[in-house]
Amino acid sequence: MSRRASGFRAWVFQRITAVYLGLYFLFLAWYVLFSAPTSYVEWREWVANPVINLSLLFFAFSLLLHAWVGTRDIIIDYIKPLMIRVTMLVFLAIGLMGSGLWTAKYLFLTITSV
Amino acid sequence: MKFRIYRYNPDTDKAPYMQDVEIKVTSDMMLRDALLEIKKQDESLNFRHSCGEGVCGSDGLNVNGKNKLACTTPITDLKEPVVIRPMPGRPVIRDLVVSMEQFYNQYRAIRPYIIRKDPVPEVEMRQSPEDRDKLDGLYECIMCGCCSTACPSFWWNPDKFLGPHALLQAWRFLADTRDQGRTERLDALEGPYKVFRCHTIMNCVDVCPKNLNPTKAIGHIKALMLKQSI
Repeated sequence: MSRRASGFRAWVFQRITAVYLGLYFLFLAWYVLFSAPTSYVEWREWVANPVINLSLLFFAFSLLLHAWVGTRDIIIDYIKPLMIRVTMLVFLAIGLMGSGLWTAKYLFLTITSV
Repeated sequence: MKFRIYRYNPDTDKAPYMQDVEIKVTSDMMLRDALLEIKKQDESLNFRHSCGEGVCGSDGLNVNGKNKLACTTPITDLKEPVVIRPMPGRPVIRDLVVSMEQFYNQYRAIRPYIIRKDPVPEVEMRQSPEDRDKLDGLYECIMCGCCSTACPSFWWNPDKFLGPHALLQAWRFLADTRDQGRTERLDALEGPYKVFRCHTIMNCVDVCPKNLNPTKAIGHIKALMLKQSI
């Protein structure tokens, strides 16, 4: 492994996730505007659809990865003292991973409990 | 015409201050001519200049908030009072003269010369006209520093981020068909700092007195990295 934090790979991830997020936001907007669920049960069924469920999981994963690269960029730009920078990056990583696990858990529960 | 000029002499002044100056000008003057007039009134004013025709790149200044070459800026284009400051983000040596050391260090870092693996031919290295055309928009850079000192990413990390000028030059050598150092050049650009502090703010494109486009060159570098990695 390189001693350096990634530059190129982070940039590639940022771009790829941006494309998926952009397209998925359009899809979500279309869903909410034109075929919005009329009840909680209907909405839950929609989320429980394996394709939707998996694509939502990937959406959440993309969002968190995208947020990691972007926020890491801001921290690298502006936060110079090493310990503060490391602390912020650690909290960011924990926060994002926590959010990811939390999202995955509820997406999974929606499938298993319908 | 009214001018407000940044003054600072570290030997005598505790802090920088702005000096108001008024001089008579003629409409054919460039800003450099006006500065020379001002220097006639007050010879303690310091600024760099040399060729006077936008070739040497010595007189980059921040004029009314935008980096320009004094010698190619007609004073009739400027709003009064003309606020003249040294190029931002650089340590001030005196008045409008700044230290460009980090700027040159970044230039040195990209190895601004052709790298050959094959023996260097005894005659000149030939290029087709098409290959030569690839260097247009790159070789014209006069290293005035207007772009890099207008770049927020360079302000924050001038020691680690190469800056628009050095990146434009990095692409100039990557795009040169005579160069054989592509792999090591790209390897040297890896990491989060050298290239990837660029957030396409495009101040560089906005200020370049030669109308060059460092942002585009940086895009080419990223695209080449992608091409080489898959």
